[in-house]
Amino acid sequence: MPSGGESMLESDNGTLGWLNFFHKGIGYFAYTMHRISGIVILLYLYLHFFVLSNLLRGGVAFNDLITSFTYGPYDIFIVMDILLSLVIFYHGANGVRLMLNEAGYGLKHHKLMFFILESGAMILMLLFLYYAWQVLLSGGGV
Amino acid sequence: MDSENYVFLVKRGDEKGNSRFDRFNVPKKKISTVLEGLVYISENLDGTLSFRHSCRMEICGSCSMQINGKPRMACSTIAESLGSNTIRVSPLPHYQVIKDLVVDIDPFFEKYRKVKPYIIRKDDKSPGVELLQTPEQFKIYEQYSMCIKCGLCLAACPISGSDDDYLGPAALAAALRFNLDSRDEGTPIRLEITGGESGTSRCHYAGECTEVCPKDVDPSRAIQLLRRTGISHELKNAFRRGKHAGKR
Repeated sequence: MPSGGESMLESDNGTLGWLNFFHKGIGYFAYTMHRISGIVILLYLYLHFFVLSNLLRGGVAFNDLITSFTYGPYDIFIVMDILLSLVIFYHGANGVRLMLNEAGYGLKHHKLMFFILESGAMILMLLFLYYAWQVLLSGGGV
Repeated sequence: MDSENYVFLVKRGDEKGNSRFDRFNVPKKKISTVLEGLVYISENLDGTLSFRHSCRMEICGSCSMQINGKPRMACSTIAESLGSNTIRVSPLPHYQVIKDLVVDIDPFFEKYRKVKPYIIRKDDKSPGVELLQTPEQFKIYEQYSMCIKCGLCLAACPISGSDDDYLGPAALAAALRFNLDSRDEGTPIRLEITGGESGTSRCHYAGECTEVCPKDVDPSRAIQLLRRTGISHELKNAFRRGKHAGKR
């Protein structure tokens, strides 16, 4: 006889199953991160449109809103901008790999392609952040 | 930790969705593979445990199950290779559980049948003579003909987990296998099926089907190649339609 039953949560079904990385390959990781980053970019897009819509209230009101985002207690938005750039660069690089793979190119080396393209994307992102930081320090971001 | 025994945590359940994990101690010296462990449990500890198995040599595809979080064949999974004294065994995900480790494999084969996995000839009659094929022509699709229909790929595929209509890796790889066969003339028919909403466009290339395939069929590669053929087929059709419209 069994030495005792116990309840354990284990689910690979449904959309939540995407998040189960246990014993999965790098392709699965790339797949899930692509979905998550896509959702983040979509949400950002709506936020972006919301902020831009404030231009209808005039230049002064818009600048006041942007300043409130980036100064004082809300300067956490800088950190969110950095995270957003990470998401966009990741999604873009993996998207290029998927386009090539889904057209039938590089299928035997798709994992290597993932590492190369993502490494390139991260280097580009660091360069972007460096120059963005320089612009902010020089006051160009205000 | 008891180094003399493996601890098998086996998910028990029924059609109604009731489930629990039962714990069994299986002597290490008595078993080599996970399947042998389950047979040991069935014969010595709990005769009510249900699971499928037949050939014990990774040919029949019957003993597919989730072992330590990954879909595998129980017969070819060496317990020691898992690197743990605890072995978690549960039924294949993305399938309806009938009892314990036995799942309903019918939907898998229904999807498989949809892609017409057989030689289609234009005359639709017996050719009367043997259809010859050179070794080179056979080599083109050999890899995709190695599928044993174990269903692991469907269990590993995240799309299959969230979209019941998706044909799945095995069916799509089978479609490519017959499309590549020099004796077959049914490619346009199959491309209409695999190019539909439930076909290749649903694949987002997670590649997990290839990771778990015990026969190195590489279904994810097959799907991308099938997708490329399908796009080419659609473009040609659109071009033909455009030409006909221009003549009117």
